[in-house]
Amino acid sequence: MNFAGIDIGSTMTKVVICNEHEQIVTAIIGPTGAEHRHLALAVMDEALKKTGMVFDQLGFITATGYGRINVPFADKQITEITCHARGVRAVVPSVRIVIDIGGQDSKGIKLGLDGRVSNFVMNDKCAAGTGRFLEVIAETLGINLADMGDLSMQAQSAVQISNTCTVFAEHEVTSRLAEGAKIPEICAGLHEAIAGRVVNMVRTLGIEKDVVVTGGGAKNRGLVKAIEGKVGFPVLTPPEPLITGALGAALMGKDLVEKGAVPDHERRLEGVTFFK
Amino acid sequence: MEENDQAKTTATKGTDAARKVRAMVKNIYKSCHDAQAEGKKVAYIMVSSQYDEILRAMDIVPLPTENYAGLCAAKRDMDRFLTKAEEDGYSQVLCSYARIGLGFDSMRKDLGCMPENAPDGGMPLPDIILGSSGVCDPRFKWFQACGRFMTAPTYSIDVMHPAVHCDLNAVRDHYVRYQKEQFEGLIAFLEKQTGKPLNKERLWETIRLGDEAWRLWYESDLLRMSKPCVMPSQDHFSVMVPAYYYSGTQEAVDFFQDLVNEVKYKIENKLAVVKDEKYRILYGGGLPPWHTMWFFNYFESFGAVFVIENQYRGFDPVEVPGHVKDPVEFLAWRTFLRYTKRHEQARANSGNPVVERILDLIKDYDIDGVFFHACRSCRATTIGQIHTKNTLGRYTDLPMTQFVSDMVDLRDYSEAQWKAQIEAFLEALAARKRPL
Amino acid sequence: MTSITQMEDLYTQRGKRARELHAAGQKVVGYFCCFVPDEIIAAFDMIPYRIQGCMSEPIDRADAHIEPMACPFARSCFNMAIKGDYSFLDGFVVPHSCDTIERMYHIWRENTPAAFNHFLNVPHMMGPSSDAFYRKELEFFIKALEDWSGKTFDPAKLKDAIKLYNQRRARLRELYALRKPDPPLVSGAEITQLLVAGMGMPADEHIELIDGLIGEIMRRPQPKGPKQPRIFIWGNEIDDTAFIKLVEESGASVVMDDLCTGSRFFWDDVPETADPLDGIVSRYLHIHCPRSYKPAAETREDDLENRFGYIGEFVKTWHADGVIFYIIRYCDTCELEGPDLREYLNVKGLPVLMIEDDYSTSTIGQLRTRVQAFLEMIV
Repeated sequence: MNFAGIDIGSTMTKVVICNEHEQIVTAIIGPTGAEHRHLALAVMDEALKKTGMVFDQLGFITATGYGRINVPFADKQITEITCHARGVRAVVPSVRIVIDIGGQDSKGIKLGLDGRVSNFVMNDKCAAGTGRFLEVIAETLGINLADMGDLSMQAQSAVQISNTCTVFAEHEVTSRLAEGAKIPEICAGLHEAIAGRVVNMVRTLGIEKDVVVTGGGAKNRGLVKAIEGKVGFPVLTPPEPLITGALGAALMGKDLVEKGAVPDHERRLEGVTFFK
Repeated sequence: MEENDQAKTTATKGTDAARKVRAMVKNIYKSCHDAQAEGKKVAYIMVSSQYDEILRAMDIVPLPTENYAGLCAAKRDMDRFLTKAEEDGYSQVLCSYARIGLGFDSMRKDLGCMPENAPDGGMPLPDIILGSSGVCDPRFKWFQACGRFMTAPTYSIDVMHPAVHCDLNAVRDHYVRYQKEQFEGLIAFLEKQTGKPLNKERLWETIRLGDEAWRLWYESDLLRMSKPCVMPSQDHFSVMVPAYYYSGTQEAVDFFQDLVNEVKYKIENKLAVVKDEKYRILYGGGLPPWHTMWFFNYFESFGAVFVIENQYRGFDPVEVPGHVKDPVEFLAWRTFLRYTKRHEQARANSGNPVVERILDLIKDYDIDGVFFHACRSCRATTIGQIHTKNTLGRYTDLPMTQFVSDMVDLRDYSEAQWKAQIEAFLEALAARKRPL
Repeated sequence: MTSITQMEDLYTQRGKRARELHAAGQKVVGYFCCFVPDEIIAAFDMIPYRIQGCMSEPIDRADAHIEPMACPFARSCFNMAIKGDYSFLDGFVVPHSCDTIERMYHIWRENTPAAFNHFLNVPHMMGPSSDAFYRKELEFFIKALEDWSGKTFDPAKLKDAIKLYNQRRARLRELYALRKPDPPLVSGAEITQLLVAGMGMPADEHIELIDGLIGEIMRRPQPKGPKQPRIFIWGNEIDDTAFIKLVEESGASVVMDDLCTGSRFFWDDVPETADPLDGIVSRYLHIHCPRSYKPAAETREDDLENRFGYIGEFVKTWHADGVIFYIIRYCDTCELEGPDLREYLNVKGLPVLMIEDDYSTSTIGQLRTRVQAFLEMIV
């Protein structure tokens, strides 16, 4: 039997299909558009095509991410907190803390010794400490978001960015540039600032080994390095840090089926053809 | 962050007296450590709780936690304490003095010793904690929360005053009685803690010293009306340390006598803060930005001097009636009279005692513009500034401006924004001085 | 009209009944917080009106008068006042509950004064000397009401009002008892509606409404379904169902609260003392608001028990599985109280979710993930 997880994040939509041995059969990542409903169907359709499966072969479909309520064919919605924890646990069984840095929010999750979520924190309705913060500043600096990590690795030192407000930080970056600061040093400073904010938030949970960083932020080498600096020891990143939420969702479905859950409503599939 | 540790945060002062305060600040914390070694009791206190002379009379050494927070900010060493408090679950919008204090306490508890390189040697564990409800709510809630990090016996008192609309003749006895009972409760607690009864003769003596220092402080402020300005606001925010934290001691009296002499000398010799004084600014309210006090000097570079303040300023002198023969009752009366000083004047005019005081200052100090500082994490000194500005607008056309940051949390401050706003304010001052 | 539809109607059209009474010539006296005794206002044949904000309206006009770092609930109330929504208030009474509310009194009074304005000073400390002080403040309040109304205060009428309001309290406790079964017989959203409806109507009418509601609840089919987490809510002002609904729609039952719009304002009776003011003082000054300071106990454990023992009883009796703190941002006293209360509850094995919010329905959706994840965590 196969299980699907779909994670609709603020910028990316991820689908993972796995089998009963918890092996990933396929994983797809696509951008999130304005219309989640159609997009969810399209991405799911693509994933199924890739595996040559049809809907009925999916034992359970679980939706997560902030767009989870807009997945009409899902059997269950579960928050990304629970799903990330489950997904990371499958990849790194020793995990105690997950730091997820997404496009519009960042969160910290603590797992108990039993592997369940024992506590969590999320950032507070504010772009600071999220991918969006870097995106705004990258625009100000006229560089690619994807390059920021590597650029910052070239820096000799980090420029201090003390403002947490994105708008203030933009001002601050402009003044630092005017004072002659180099772009790599500014990038390093931004990573320091975000890492500081996120790690401070996660500290409320009590940081313990192992720490795993996920989400788009985990793909930024500079940011991960800054996080390690704040945490004080090396952190781990999964090979594909974007899909842990979708993977966790698929696995939560598997757990539920093992506990006897059956999809209790008819899956509405009509939209798939409509979208095509 | 390393390179910024050297950044200058403090302002260049105008008087030698103000320059001596730095050592007095250091001495506050040093004397706490010394006192404990001598077996004296050290107490966490809140500024302006009206109980200072009682503590001095009972040999209790005050440890002002709010001042410590300001000190950390001036040294730009606040982030680790703010962060620690936030880790412990305190909101980022909670009073940042409280966050620094609680963060410090938490860190000292976790480490089992003083945090490394704590500014001025750090705050020792207090023997007693003394809160109050004067000025703001966190003053007793913060000290209540300290129970999480230490076991020191804790006591708080109310410091209450009537609303401006009250008929003072009708409410006076009621307020004085309650204040006296609150002080008596505190004294009973302290007697139990120290094992020694309060000596009322000594209390009269510390009250005499406290009043004398404040009388001299007031005299120095009156002298500051002279033009050009010889003692700017950054000096005020230094001399408040001996005024509040050395209250009831001979040192405070000596300090303010020296200050008065120096201000007189500077006036006689026209030793102005700036060569060409263009604008005289009133610091209208709000806790100062301890992290960035050099902004006073930045203003001065444009010929704009802060000449007087409506924040951390002493109460104007009051006359306690001669029939009061008990020092504790005297303190209760003094508290009532201090807090109601401008109530009758306000009822006859703007309805707002803060507005009345500012109007008096504008007139007496020949003010050209008013500056307010809104602190994101301070309700008590921030809320009401806009309302005060609006009401002032009915009586004066002076330019008024409200800057926003925080008293210690640098994350709420934007240098670029401040500089732009300073420029705009200066333009407004210039436009009024030289009408088209 | 059923009691449920009547309640919904009064909840949606805030102040409807008070407006009618005002139009009919009765005096409506608006007040903030839990420290202004309804009974005293009622003893003068006036209608007490607990001032509410409006979570679904943006705060657009208040910014010209009050700083954005003030409590958004207070700002919202004032925003409504500037727009004329409170023109039906004949009186305006504000207790010194916290720094923001104290400032609010002056700003409100100078910008949108009512015919009668009064400030009631309330000690933060608790003890015999504070009781005497508060009593004297109540005497000033009574004198001011006498001067305004031209009536003489009659202690017998105050005793009657105390009886009446105690009856209302008893009915509300009876209603809260219907939250004890699992699943509860009444939802948290319904409770909020009923309490908000009661903030602006005479107590006897509210009693009638509560009785009607209890009858309808008992007659309707009992709710069934899978076991859901039972949530206790602690915080300050919740005068809108949005947040409670969000929790309940996420798959939980809100079964008990300690909110100033909930049990905090009505739980304890006023003792019926020979001098009615004695009972009023002992009851109102001892309301469990974080702004009041209980003298410190010798040990940390005793201090927490002293401060939060009543919450310990609540969570036990109502079988709470988890606790959500809903704190309106910039409330210094709640923000200092929260971590201590969390410590107390965690020791009892109860998980806590701390939420700080802006008092706006437009941002409530952002809390959904947090609430759901918390529920997933505790099931």
